[in-house]
Amino acid sequence: MTSSTSAVSAALALIALIAVKLSHLQALVIFALVISVAFGFLGRRQPKERVKYILWTLLLFLLVGVGIGWAMYPFSR
Amino acid sequence: MAEETTAQEPVSQPQNSRREALALVVGVAGWLVPGLGHALLKMWGRAVICFLTVGVLVWVGAGMRGNLFTSRGNDAFDSLGYIADLGTGGFYFVARSLETNGPDVSRADGDYGTRFLATAGVFNLLAALHAYEAARGRKA
Repeated sequence: MTSSTSAVSAALALIALIAVKLSHLQALVIFALVISVAFGFLGRRQPKERVKYILWTLLLFLLVGVGIGWAMYPFSR
Repeated sequence: MAEETTAQEPVSQPQNSRREALALVVGVAGWLVPGLGHALLKMWGRAVICFLTVGVLVWVGAGMRGNLFTSRGNDAFDSLGYIADLGTGGFYFVARSLETNGPDVSRADGDYGTRFLATAGVFNLLAALHAYEAARGRKA
């Protein structure tokens, strides 16, 4: 009984987590982070090189994302 | 390229076709279940990363109510979106079950979610291709 109740509450917590709202910046950061880490691990690199690659890719993702956002700003109204 | 060929040990034809078939199985497995292709090759780190990456992207994309395309698309972009979404393999159906309220692209969130889902699919296809190449004996 207790285990089934905890399973239901865990499922409800999961659904609540899915419905969480993200700001544009949060979505950008999550996207950049996940893809950077994935690309970093997909290639054949030494651990130190891998960390450098992940950080560099993450930085470029964020810079380009924010840069394109600002470039589109004059056309937004 | 020629140096690589000469450096490799000579492989007999049946062995070669067997390796090719195995690589195909690895590739298809990696597509159906993200990370399974790498897991079959005992590349555990990459398997976990692929599974988590595709899982997180699908989870967030479905949570943002992104558009999950179906085969009944109206134009070429819908068809391309469907192909990209199908790239997630089994996670396509997970995303379908997570999106209980259906997509909502009237807000920016839904539009972002659509991109998350498509990226998950394209990344999984890339990962499956990587596993396939690794199984064929190419440097990966």
